[in-house]
Amino acid sequence: MAHSDKKAVLNQGVIIFVFLTVLTLLEFFIAITMASVVLLVVIALVKAGLVGYYYMHIYRLNIDDEGGHDSYPYKTGTNRLGLWLFLLSDGFVFAGLAVARFNLLGLTRPHLNQTLGLIVTAVLLISSFFMNRAETSMEHGDRKGFVLGMSITLVLGIAFLLGVVGVEWPQAIHEGITPSSGAEGAIFFMMTGMHAFHVLTGVIFLAVVLRNGMRGLYSGEKHWAVEAAAVYWHFVDVVWIFFYPALYLIGTVVT
Amino acid sequence: MRHFVIVAILVIAMTFLAYFGLVASDLMPVQASAQAVSIDWLWNLELMMISFLFALIVVPMFYSLIVFRRRKGETGDGEHMEGNTTLEVTWTIIPLFIVLAFAYLGAYSLGETRRLDPGAMVINVTAQQFAFSFEYPELGFVSDELYLAVDKQVVLKMTSRDVIHSFWVPEFRIKQDIVPGRVTEYRITPTLLTDEQPFKVRCAELCGASHAYMLSDVRVVTQEDFDVWAAARQEEAAAAAQTPEGRGQALSVANGCLGCHTVDGAAGTGPTWFNLYGRQEQLADGTVVIADDAYIHESIVDPQAKIVAGFESVFMPAYDFTDEQIADIIAYIKTLE
Amino acid sequence: MKTKNPVRRSFLLLLLGGVIGYGLGVGLDVLVTGQLDFAAPLTGMFALLGTSVAYFFGLVGYWGITRGLVWQVIGTLAGGLFVSGIRVLMGLEAFGGFFFSEPAWVFGGLVGGLSFLVGVGAVTDWYKWAKGEPTSEHHHDPEGYVKYFGVSLDHKVIGIQYTVTALLLMGIGGLFAMIFRTELAASQLQFLTTTFRAFDQNGLQFYNTLMSLHGIIMIISILLGVAGMINYLVPLLIGAQDMAFPRLNAFSFWIAVPAAVLLVSALFLGGFDTGWTGYPPLSARSPVGIQMFFLGVFLAGWSSILGGLNLLATVVRMRARGMTAFRMPIFAWAAIATSLISLTATQFIGLSFQLVMFQRLLGMGFFDPTKGGNPVLFQHMFWFYSHPAVYVFVLPGLGIISELLPVFVRKPLYGYRWVAMSSLGIALVGFLVWAHHMFASGMNEYLRVPFMYSTLLVAVPTGVKFFSWVATLWKGKITTPTPMLFVLGAILVFLVGGLTGPPHGTISVDLHLTDTYFVVGHFHDTMFGGYVFPFFAALYYWFPKATGRRMNETLGKLHFWLMTPSFFVLTFAMMRVGLLGMRRRIADYDPLLGFDLSHLIMTIAGYLIFTSVVIFVYNFFHSLKHGELAEGNLWNSRSPEWLVPSPMPVHNYDQAFEVVGEPYDYGLDGSRYVQFEDEKIKDIEG
Ligand code: HEA
Ligand code: HEA
Ligand code: HEC
Ligand code: CUA
Ligand SMILES: [Cu+2]
Repeated sequence: MAHSDKKAVLNQGVIIFVFLTVLTLLEFFIAITMASVVLLVVIALVKAGLVGYYYMHIYRLNIDDEGGHDSYPYKTGTNRLGLWLFLLSDGFVFAGLAVARFNLLGLTRPHLNQTLGLIVTAVLLISSFFMNRAETSMEHGDRKGFVLGMSITLVLGIAFLLGVVGVEWPQAIHEGITPSSGAEGAIFFMMTGMHAFHVLTGVIFLAVVLRNGMRGLYSGEKHWAVEAAAVYWHFVDVVWIFFYPALYLIGTVVT
Repeated sequence: MRHFVIVAILVIAMTFLAYFGLVASDLMPVQASAQAVSIDWLWNLELMMISFLFALIVVPMFYSLIVFRRRKGETGDGEHMEGNTTLEVTWTIIPLFIVLAFAYLGAYSLGETRRLDPGAMVINVTAQQFAFSFEYPELGFVSDELYLAVDKQVVLKMTSRDVIHSFWVPEFRIKQDIVPGRVTEYRITPTLLTDEQPFKVRCAELCGASHAYMLSDVRVVTQEDFDVWAAARQEEAAAAAQTPEGRGQALSVANGCLGCHTVDGAAGTGPTWFNLYGRQEQLADGTVVIADDAYIHESIVDPQAKIVAGFESVFMPAYDFTDEQIADIIAYIKTLE
Repeated sequence: MKTKNPVRRSFLLLLLGGVIGYGLGVGLDVLVTGQLDFAAPLTGMFALLGTSVAYFFGLVGYWGITRGLVWQVIGTLAGGLFVSGIRVLMGLEAFGGFFFSEPAWVFGGLVGGLSFLVGVGAVTDWYKWAKGEPTSEHHHDPEGYVKYFGVSLDHKVIGIQYTVTALLLMGIGGLFAMIFRTELAASQLQFLTTTFRAFDQNGLQFYNTLMSLHGIIMIISILLGVAGMINYLVPLLIGAQDMAFPRLNAFSFWIAVPAAVLLVSALFLGGFDTGWTGYPPLSARSPVGIQMFFLGVFLAGWSSILGGLNLLATVVRMRARGMTAFRMPIFAWAAIATSLISLTATQFIGLSFQLVMFQRLLGMGFFDPTKGGNPVLFQHMFWFYSHPAVYVFVLPGLGIISELLPVFVRKPLYGYRWVAMSSLGIALVGFLVWAHHMFASGMNEYLRVPFMYSTLLVAVPTGVKFFSWVATLWKGKITTPTPMLFVLGAILVFLVGGLTGPPHGTISVDLHLTDTYFVVGHFHDTMFGGYVFPFFAALYYWFPKATGRRMNETLGKLHFWLMTPSFFVLTFAMMRVGLLGMRRRIADYDPLLGFDLSHLIMTIAGYLIFTSVVIFVYNFFHSLKHGELAEGNLWNSRSPEWLVPSPMPVHNYDQAFEVVGEPYDYGLDGSRYVQFEDEKIKDIEG
C-alpha cells in the first residue's frame, strides 16, 4: 500500500463516498415511493460491499506476508485475520437482531422520524469517509492529516451517539414507542441500543488511537492500531447500513 | 478373505440378536391410537437399522481387538493401508441413501399421523400451571377429564394461559407443545378403550415447580358411553348455571383452579379449599387471618397480597373476574365442608 | 499459620473462610429479614465466596485468582449498590427479596465479572497498550504450581488451567446429579419435598435448580475441557511457540472463572426452574437466579468465542514449515471445525439470553405474546447455537479418537482426508438442523420436513468417521493400555448415542420421544462417548507429556472398567423408561408406571460412575508426585511433541522442525513425519 500515490488513494475515498451518498439518497427515494424491499436490500448490500472493499480493505487478508513469524508485517497479518474473525462473530449478533426484527415485525416498521434517521445515517457515513482519510494519511506518514481526520471522525461519532440516544430515543418515547410498549419498541431500542453500544466502544477506541497517534506512536510502516480502529469503525458503519433500512425504510408503519 | 466371511456371518447374527432382543424387551406402551400405528411402524424400522449398523461397527471392532491384538513378543507395526477411495465413496453413498430413505419414510409417516377427518369433533384445551381443562364447544360444557369416543377423530385446539406446556398421552404417542399466544392443533383417533385405569395426559414441557404433577385423566369409551357421559355433563352444566355454587364450580374447573387446589382436603400445589371458608389461615409473615369473603376475594384478584405459610414460593396467577363471578366461586367454596 | 504444606494450609483456610462467610451471611440475612434462617440465600452466597477466597489465599496468597475473586466480590457489591442508589433516587424500592433488587444483581454480576478480570490481571497488558506503554514480549511465569493460579500467557499453562477447571466443574455438576438422582431413586418425594426449604426454594424447585445447573455446568465444563485440549495440544501438534494471541488466550480462560462463580451463585439466589434451555415465558418468571445463569453463560460464551477465534488464527498462521493442509494432525482439523462453530454460533445463545434479560429488566416484549412477542423465536435463536454446540462438544473428542487410534493400532489412520473433511462436513451441516429440537414446539409446519432431511444428513459424515476407525483397527497390531481403552469405549458409547439420533430426527417418532428420558439417554451417550471418554483418553495419554510422570495403569483400568458398564446401564435404563412414558425434568414420577426399579438401578449406576471418576482424580493427584517417571517416546508415536523431552520445555520446541511426511504412516519403513533442524544438519553431514 505504501507504494501507491497518496493523492490517488484519497481521491478514491472521495469517489466511494459520492457513490455511498447517491445510493443512500436513492434508498430514501425508493422507500418513500415504491417501497421495494428487494431493491432496498440490494442497495444495502452494494453499500456494504463498497465499504468492505474500499474502506475496510478486505482484500488485504489475502496478502502473502513476507518475513518470519516474528516480524511486524507477519504479526500484523495475523492480527488482521483475528480482527476480521472477530467482526464475523460480532456480525452474528446483529444478524440475530435482524432475524428477531423480521420475525416479530415482518413487513411493518415502527413509527419513526425518517428525516432524523437519514440525518444520523449521513453523520455516520461522513465519519467513515474521514476515518478513511485519517488512515490513508497515516499510511503515508502524514501525522497531521491523520490527527485531523481522526478528530473529525471522533466528533461525528459522538454526534451520531447523541443523535440516536439523545434525540431519537426521547422522540420515540414521546411518540409512545417505549421499550415496554410492545414488540416494535423492544426491537427498536434493542437494535439501536446494541449498535450504539458498538459505536461507543468505537469512539473509545478512536480516542485511544488518536491520543497515541498524537504522541507519535505510529508511523507509516507501523500503525496496526490505526488500521484496526478504522476497520472496526467501518464495520459499525456497515451494520448501520443494514439497520437503517430495516428500521426506517422497509415495511409499512403500524400505529 | 476368511476374516471377511467370519465377520459377515457375525454381523448378521448380531443384527438379528440385537433386533429381536430389542423387540422382545417391550419398549413401547400399548398402542392406543390410529396415529400410533405409523409411528410404531417407523420405529420398528429404526430398530432394524440401529441393530444392523450397531452390529456393522461393533462386530469388526471386537473381531479386530481379538484377532489382531498384539501378541507377546511382537514388535512390528500393522499393515500399511492408507485408505481406499472406492471404499470411502461406498460408505458415504450407502448411508446417504439410507438416510434419504428414512427421511422419506419419516415424511410419509408424519403425513399418516396428520390425516384429517373433516368431521372431527373440536375440543378446546386450555393449559396453565398446573392443569388442563377441556371445553367441548359443540356440547357446551367444560371438563377437567378428557373423554373420547373410540375410533372417532378429534382435533384438540390448544392454548396456554401462562407458559409453554405440552400435551402428551404416551399411549397415543404424539406430543404437541401448547404455547401461549397461539393455538396449536392435536389430532388423534383413539382406538383402544380404557378400563378402570384411564390413560393420562402428561404435561411434557417443563412449566414450573409442579410440572411433574400436571396430569389429567383420559378415558376412551364407546360412542354410546360417550353420549351418556356428555348428556350428563350437559345437564349438570345447565343445572349448575342456575345456582351460584354451580356457576362457581364451573368457573373453578374452567379456570384451572382445581389444578392447584383440591376440594377434598388432600395436599396440592395451593392450599386445599376443603373447609377453607371461615378457616384460620396462618400467613407467611406470621400473622393469622380468617378466610372470609374479603380475604378470598383478595386472594383471587391479588394472590401475592397475603401469602399462606408454606406456599411462599409458588406462584398463583392473578385473575380478573367480575365481582359476581367471585361471589359465585366463594359460594362454591362455602359448599366444600 | 505456620504449616509448611500449602495444600493443608489452604484446606484449613477453606474451612475457616467457609465458616466466616457463612456466619456473615447468616448475620446479614438476620439484619435484612429479621429472621434466623440457616439456608437463606445470602448464607450460601457468602459461604461460597468465603470458602473459595480463603482456599486460594492459602494456596497462593493475595495474588492471581485470589485477587480476582476479591475484586469480583467488591465489584458485585459496588455495582449492586450503585444501582440500588439510583433506584432510591428514582423513588423505587432499593432492595429486593434477595438483598439486592434484580437490576442491581444483574448490573452487579456484570461489574463483578469484569472486576475479576481486572483483579486477576488479565487485561493489564491491554491497558498498557492503550496508554501507549510497552509490554514485554515474554512473560516469565513463577516457579512451581503457583503459576497455574494467575495469569500466564503460556498456552500449556492455560491448557492445564482450562482442563483442571473443567474437571472441577464436572465434579460440581456430577455432585448435583448425585443429589437429584438420589431423589429419583424411588417414586414419590423423599427429601426434596414440598416442605423442604433451602435458598428460598422448596424441594420441587430445588430439584429443578439442581437439574438445570447440572445440565449447564456440565456443558460449560465440556466447553472448557475442549478448550483445554485444544490449547494444550494444537500449538504442540502444529509446531507453534504459542497461540496466535497469547493475551487473548489468557483472557478467554479467565473470563470463564467469574462465569462459573455466577452460574453457581444462581443456586443461592432462588435458583431457576427452566432447565438449561431457559425457554421463556417460564424463564421470564423465574427467580433472580436465572439472571445469574444468563450472565454466567454469557461470559462463558465469550470465552468460547475468543478461544475459537484464537485457534483459527493459530492454525492458519502458525504452522511449522512444510505442514500443508493435509499434513496437519487430524486433531487440528477437528479444532478448526469446532472453532468455526464456537466463533459464530455462540453469539446467538448470548443474544437470546440477553433478550430475555432485557425482557425481565425493562419489560421489552420480545418473547411475551401479550406484547406481540413470540416465544418460539427464542427457541430458534437458542437452538441455532445449541445444536451446533453439540458438535463443539464432540468434534474435538472424535479428533482425539482419530489421533490416538493409529498410535495404538500401529497403522495409518484409514482415509485421513475423508476423516478430516468429515469434521468440516459435520460442522457445516450442523448449522442447518437446529429446528429438530422443535418438532413439537408449534413452529411453522412447513419447516419440519426440511429440517428432518438436514438432520439425518449429519449421519453421513459421522458414519465416515466410524467406518474409517473400524478400517484402521482392521489388521493392526492392537495394544490396549488405558488411553486406548478409553478410545474404544468412546467409539462404542458414541455409536449408541449417534444411532439414537436418527429416531429423533424422523419427526413422527420424535413426537413420541421428545422431552422424555429417551432424549436424556441419547445425549448422555453422545456427550460421554464424544467428549467424556475421549477427554479421559487424552488425559491419560498426554499426562506424562505435561508432567513428566505417568498415571497409574491399574487405577486407570479400574476407572475404565467401573465407568463403562455402569454408564451403559445408566443410559439404557434411561432410554427404556423414556420410551415407556418417563418425562424429562420431573422430580417425581407416577408409581403406577412401574419405573421404580429402573430408576434405582440408574441411581446406583450414577454413583458408580461418580466413584470411578473419584478414582481417576485420586490417580491424577497421586501420580503428579509419585507417578512413574515418563521417559522418551512413551507411546512410540510419530507426533513431534513426543520427540522432545517430557515435561514439555517452556518454549515448546527449541529447534524448529519441518514436516517431511505424512502424519500417520505407521508401518511404512523409513518414513518420518517431522525433521528437526539439527537432524537436518546431521543428515547433510552424514
Ligand atoms: C454431543 C452431543 C450430541 C451429538 C453428537 C448429537 C448427535 C445427534 N443428535 Fe442429538 N442431542 C444432544 C446432543 C447430541 N446429539 C442433546 C444435548 C440433546 C438434547 C438437548 C435438550 O433438549 O436438552 C439432543 C437432542 C436431539 C434431538 C431433539 C430431540 C428432542 O428433544 O425431541 C434430535 C432430533 O433430531 C437429535 C438428533 C441427533 C442426530 C441425528 C445426531 C447425529 O449427529 C448422530 C450421527 C451419528 C450416527 C448416526 C451414528 C454413526 C453413523 C453411522 C454408523 C453411519 C450410518 C448411519 C446411518 C445410515 C443412520 N438430538
Ligand atoms: C457432559 C455432560 C453431562 C454429564 C457428564 C452428565 C452426567 C450425569 N448425568 Fe446428566 N445431563 C446433562 C449433561 C451431563 N450429564 C444435561 C445437559 C442434562 C439436561 C439438563 C436439562 O434438562 O436441562 C442432563 C440431565 C440429566 C438427567 C435428567 C434430569 C431430568 O430431566 O429431570 C439425569 C437423570 O438421571 C442425569 C443424570 C446424570 C448422571 C447420573 C450423570 C453421572 O454420569 C454423573 C457422574 C459424575 C461425574 C462424571 C463427575 C465426577 C467428577 C468428579 C468427582 C471430579 C472431581 C474433580 C475435581 C475435584 C478436580 N442428567
Ligand atoms: C398455579 C397454581 C394455582 C392456581 C392455578 C390457582 N391457585 Fe389459588 N393459590 C395457589 C397458591 C400457591 C396459594 C397460596 C399462596 C397464596 O396465598 O397466595 C393459593 C391461594 C388461594 C386462595 C387462598 C386460600 C387460603 O387457604 O388462604 C384462594 C381463595 C385461591 N387461591 C383461589 C383460587 C382461584 C379461585 C383460582 C382459579 C380461578 C386459583 N386459586 C387458581 C395456587 C394456585
Ligand atoms: Cu405444564 Cu409441564
Ligand atoms: Cu440437535
